[in-house]
Amino acid sequence: MKKNAYFKADEADTGLGKFKGLEVRIGTIVDDEWDEPMGPTPMPNPTDLRAWDHKLLNRYHPSYMPYCQVCCLCTFGKCDLSGDKRGACGIDIKAQQARIVLAAANIGCSAHLAHARHLVDHLVEEFGPRTKLIQGPGIDIHAPVSRLVTGMRPRTLEDASIIVGYCETQLAHTLSATHTGQEGSWLDFESKVLHAGMIDQVGMEIADLAQISTLGFPKADPEAPLVQSGIGMMDTNKAIILTIGHNIVPAAAITDYITEKNIGSQVEVGGMCCTAWDITRRDPSAKVIGPISWQLRYIRSGKADVVVVDEQCVQVNAVNEAKKVKAPIISTSDKAVMGLPDRSDDPIDSIVEELVSGKIDGAFIHDHHKVGEVAVKVALAVKPKRRKMKFFPSKAKIKKMAEDCKKCSECIRACPNDQPVMEAVLAAQVGNFELLREVYKNCIGCARCESACPNDYDLHSWMVVAAQSDCEEEKYMVRTGRGAIQDIEIRNVGQPIVFGEIPGVIAHVGCANYPQGGKDVHDMAEEFAKRRYIVVTSGCAAISMGHVKDENGQSIYERRSGEFDAGGVLNVGSCVSNPHIAGAAIKIAAIFAKRNLRGNYAEIADYIHNRVGAVGVSWGAMSQKAASIAAGFWRLGVPVIVGPHGSKYRRMLLGKAEEERAWTVYDARTGDRVLTAPAPEHLFYAAETVAEANVLTAKLVIRPNDTGKGRSIKLSHYIDIHEKYYGYFPDDVWRYIRRDTDIPITLKEKILAQMKENKWKERRIIDPTLLKEQIMGGGT
Amino acid sequence: MRPVPWQTGEICGPESAKSLTKAAVLKRDITKAKKPLLVVGSEAVTIKHGKGDMVDYAIALSKAMKMPVIATGGAIKTFLEKGFEGAKSMGAMEVAFRLQDADWLGPSGKGPYDMIMIYGIPYYMEWTLLSAVMNFGTHLTAIALDRHFQPHAKWSFPNMKEKQYHVILDELLELVGGGK
Repeated sequence: MKKNAYFKADEADTGLGKFKGLEVRIGTIVDDEWDEPMGPTPMPNPTDLRAWDHKLLNRYHPSYMPYCQVCCLCTFGKCDLSGDKRGACGIDIKAQQARIVLAAANIGCSAHLAHARHLVDHLVEEFGPRTKLIQGPGIDIHAPVSRLVTGMRPRTLEDASIIVGYCETQLAHTLSATHTGQEGSWLDFESKVLHAGMIDQVGMEIADLAQISTLGFPKADPEAPLVQSGIGMMDTNKAIILTIGHNIVPAAAITDYITEKNIGSQVEVGGMCCTAWDITRRDPSAKVIGPISWQLRYIRSGKADVVVVDEQCVQVNAVNEAKKVKAPIISTSDKAVMGLPDRSDDPIDSIVEELVSGKIDGAFIHDHHKVGEVAVKVALAVKPKRRKMKFFPSKAKIKKMAEDCKKCSECIRACPNDQPVMEAVLAAQVGNFELLREVYKNCIGCARCESACPNDYDLHSWMVVAAQSDCEEEKYMVRTGRGAIQDIEIRNVGQPIVFGEIPGVIAHVGCANYPQGGKDVHDMAEEFAKRRYIVVTSGCAAISMGHVKDENGQSIYERRSGEFDAGGVLNVGSCVSNPHIAGAAIKIAAIFAKRNLRGNYAEIADYIHNRVGAVGVSWGAMSQKAASIAAGFWRLGVPVIVGPHGSKYRRMLLGKAEEERAWTVYDARTGDRVLTAPAPEHLFYAAETVAEANVLTAKLVIRPNDTGKGRSIKLSHYIDIHEKYYGYFPDDVWRYIRRDTDIPITLKEKILAQMKENKWKERRIIDPTLLKEQIMGGGT
Repeated sequence: MRPVPWQTGEICGPESAKSLTKAAVLKRDITKAKKPLLVVGSEAVTIKHGKGDMVDYAIALSKAMKMPVIATGGAIKTFLEKGFEGAKSMGAMEVAFRLQDADWLGPSGKGPYDMIMIYGIPYYMEWTLLSAVMNFGTHLTAIALDRHFQPHAKWSFPNMKEKQYHVILDELLELVGGGK
């Protein structure tokens, strides 16, 4: 087992004698207290799971939609790859698309992995390498993804560091494959995409495990606290510190300083994007202001007295935006310094004085303890003066400015969602702000309309002014991230999930690049939660899901249980908490089916693919991180649906329902090759509308292993949702019927007619596997 | 406007659609097509045309050209509500995938197709769908009938004013013997 240990002591008095300057390096330590046998692929290299990848990729064909027909990555080019042309390096357009998909997965993986490395190193420094990793009560199988991939069960921060080291090596390999003159086959690029996704899952798991263990987060707690959320929840009587990004370390230093000085009545902290979840996991008095797309609107409101950015998904023009509203800004991560002067080594009072006086607009401070004190002191000092300032134009001023609109349509052309921005501006000319208010509701906050406007209108700000009353009403209670799913919860639902009686586990994750506002995420989650699917969520999707109230004024988190059970809605936390969702599927294999996890990736992925009716939905997927997160689920055989903007990932993974060869599997009991239903039909799919996403979600939870009762329940929901959104009885139900018991009783007549029409033949319910070695007796 | 991609950033590669400003220029392609297919997206439901909407237009075009329809993104519901039986439902990404196969018979089994007409899918999504067709479905002639320029089609309207757009749509319908 690849595990390095290092020990250093200035002086050591031992039975062997006294040592000075003792340093001991041990190349390999075997975790001999763990009696689970090692599987075939501990710490796999990029090609070790290639055979499994090819099984998936033979079933789910990459469908490429080139975003560009040229390659401009090296000085041979630009090379025109249109038609059947090849570039100077020999690459064709298909391989080039796969290469770009791999580049995206690598970028996403690297962001999480660098985050994990920073957290682990920082926490080792703070708490020591032997600090125990604890996922929470009722969890024997902690870090299931790491166990599955590496064959290690990380028990200390030192173990975590070793695992991150393995991931870093793998990422170097998969990244290098994108270099000119390396990989040349689309199939192998795609295999490496899956590898990068798997490595990403490990890195994220380690990051979250490390912070859960050391920073006082909820530990696998279904009743993690409900916390305040929304722009209207921020108390402007206090000094406000806005934190943006994903890495809690600087934000935690701020809340710790506030707690230590007992000044919570004077200053408060709100977060955006995943930092929001992680600060509220540590300190429930902090607030979740909103998802990634709320950054500009909140900075521009001027309500934040200090802006602190860490890493990932930060609006990279934040320095200029903060400057416009005279809010000092502090960057804290070596990944996102933002051009600010490095004041890390300067005395705190000197930094505070320069930021408060406006001598400098902002500072880069990588000493996180210093960030806490500086941010709080500056916020308190600038607040009185800033509260007297107004930053948004009045409606009267907007009306006047709008009169000069050139009607060029450039704002609409720049809008990713084709919003009627120009019409809204023309309405504002006559004092009608309702259209601008409507645009606000669907706005993703990119401000491309402003960049395009020849009059330099601050159009995004105008929308916020028009929707001011809506902003003030943005007051919600959302459940902060609970972390992992407990083993006992898995034990309770493992069987009904595998047999199909709990119809599915739906994970709403990812960014906020929504085609028509965040309410869609809530509506999709509610559609399935009320049907007793289990809904899990994380990241910006989890924020948007909570930003809708029912008729009683409650959010989905207030009215639904946080337990991993039918009808529950569970927020696991931030982006790096996503492996808890994968981990739940993995633990079903371990707990319910008693499969070994240790270094046993292909067998467990095969189990999940054939048995666990899980579907990921990332309705606002935007980033490369979302791409790598999705890739991690694909390798486990879990299908992922993205919103229409996800088509820009330029490659889908699609099955063909009628392609019998693709849906023929082994029966593990007999070794026979048996035709199964096309389930799940696709592995990666961009849905055009909520209607399509809902219909597809209901279909993609179907698995070959469903019992008759389970299949019948799943089909009932599929048919009902299909009729609701498409207006007719689906014509492919017959494909999912193996024998009479699969037929929902109330729909029997219609289904029997469809079966007859399609010359349906009865099939056995089998023990399905794609892996020959899983056949009893080893398939020999 | 010029025939440039409607969404400013959605520029394409070396190949780009021809600008369609008169319905008559399609006559040759339409006459040549033996098995055309009409793909209609979710936005057709809300875009007005004449006294109806763009689903009504699809029905009229389909009947005039004896052309099957694939409705994407749930648009099928409106076709059915209007009593039209000639449409089948598929996802836009499934359509993008299947159209790359020169032997694909389509959901009605009336293929393989040699021409597609398409509109009503969100701009950027139709852009990617047509990219798949242009690069890998080279057996197809693709005609985009949205108001805004789709560079990956063979023919596309060049970001037309609304009034002009609806006039040319009616001209097209007339050209194929419909709209009477």
